[in-house]
Amino acid sequence: MSAISSLVPARFLTIIAHLVIVITIFWSRENNVKASLPLEFTQEQYDSEDQKLVVALAVTLGLFAIELSGFFSGVSMFNCSQGLLSLAVHCGASVSLSFFVFEMWECWTYWVIFAVCSVLPAVVEIILFVGVFGLKKKPL
Amino acid sequence: MAFYEVYSHPALIRYKTSVCTKATLFLVAILCLTYISPLLVAYRSQGFWTKRSTYEEQPVVRYRYEALLVAATSPLGDHVTWSTFPYLNNMLGPNFRIPAVSVREEDQNQDGKLDLLIFKLQLPLRADEQVYSVQLLLTFSYQLHRMSTVVMQTLAYVQHSSSVPGAKLFIGGDLRLQQRAPLAHRGLNNIYNVSVIDGSSPFVSSYDLENIMRSYQSRNLTTVLSCPSPVWTLGRAEGSPFELSAEIRYPLEVISYRPGFWETIKLAWIQYVSVLLIFLWVSERVQRFVFQNQVLTTVPVAVEKLHLS
Repeated sequence: MSAISSLVPARFLTIIAHLVIVITIFWSRENNVKASLPLEFTQEQYDSEDQKLVVALAVTLGLFAIELSGFFSGVSMFNCSQGLLSLAVHCGASVSLSFFVFEMWECWTYWVIFAVCSVLPAVVEIILFVGVFGLKKKPL
Repeated sequence: MAFYEVYSHPALIRYKTSVCTKATLFLVAILCLTYISPLLVAYRSQGFWTKRSTYEEQPVVRYRYEALLVAATSPLGDHVTWSTFPYLNNMLGPNFRIPAVSVREEDQNQDGKLDLLIFKLQLPLRADEQVYSVQLLLTFSYQLHRMSTVVMQTLAYVQHSSSVPGAKLFIGGDLRLQQRAPLAHRGLNNIYNVSVIDGSSPFVSSYDLENIMRSYQSRNLTTVLSCPSPVWTLGRAEGSPFELSAEIRYPLEVISYRPGFWETIKLAWIQYVSVLLIFLWVSERVQRFVFQNQVLTTVPVAVEKLHLS
């Protein structure tokens, strides 16, 4: 189907774009941590905020691993709805995280983006995994 | 043999589905994204709701023919006073001195609004007196008509002192409006339509310059004489009066006001719709891809009938 032939590369590109920007945030997270702290802060406060952001980024990478394994193994590559959902949320995440970096948003906004744009596709991916390997349904 | 396109028209295809499907979910998501995102973009880029705007108007200013003059005639602080308030004049006693005053207001550009006040005063002095400082207060009635109607009474206060006795003081300046808060866009504003100096009061405290200026400065809307360079001329000839001449212009004012509901909505709407157009185009392309290629299953129904039956 012509839809899938254009959906699959688009989905791959948006996942990779989101991944690249998450890895970039690992290096540029200082400004975001400082934006979440008051003007006068101690080193302990900085370290705890930084730690929370690092945890969020690491969990995001884990969820990426789940989704990419489902994608490359073929479990969800030809599933139209998961493809569309994944495309939309990763596109939204790339745009929001670019704003996160450039506009130096506070760290709590990362949790919102994480919940909508990383957790949701990974959960659907796990459901599809269960469906294919557990319930023996066809992967399409 | 079909060489060229003679006519074309679009053929409508309707995609139908029931309420509880992925296609409905997709539609809801894309409608939210299309209509809410331009609002976010327009709001976050600042200036969505205009809170303050400006307009130009030449105010209608008239001199009220009230004045209060205090001149110090010795370095020790002896002074002479003159005013147009009979109660004050009666209380002054030996400090009262009557100058020769001539006043004229001109409308230079013939637009029906006065533009210039020429105030000339000649204060007679005794042989042993010299003028070391002058304080002059003039009152005006000030009106604005273009947006809200503002009717108020204002003043211009001039003060100049010098350690050297002078012969003449020349003041040339503009009567400028000072606003602490933006004006309304309509309605009548006459809270300040009370005399700055209460001429019917028999108490000295009502004519005290400090009291007058204190209550005047507590207003949100005042005028101030902006005179960057008063000219104090030295060398008064013996027996000649002290001359004070003031030329006060009433310039075109740039007044800041708070725009009304419709003006704010009009400007916000322009901003919203111009961003919405882009999002509508993108959403149209996305929906066409999704529904035409059956990414989410729907039932396409072609509306055009191919054959007459």
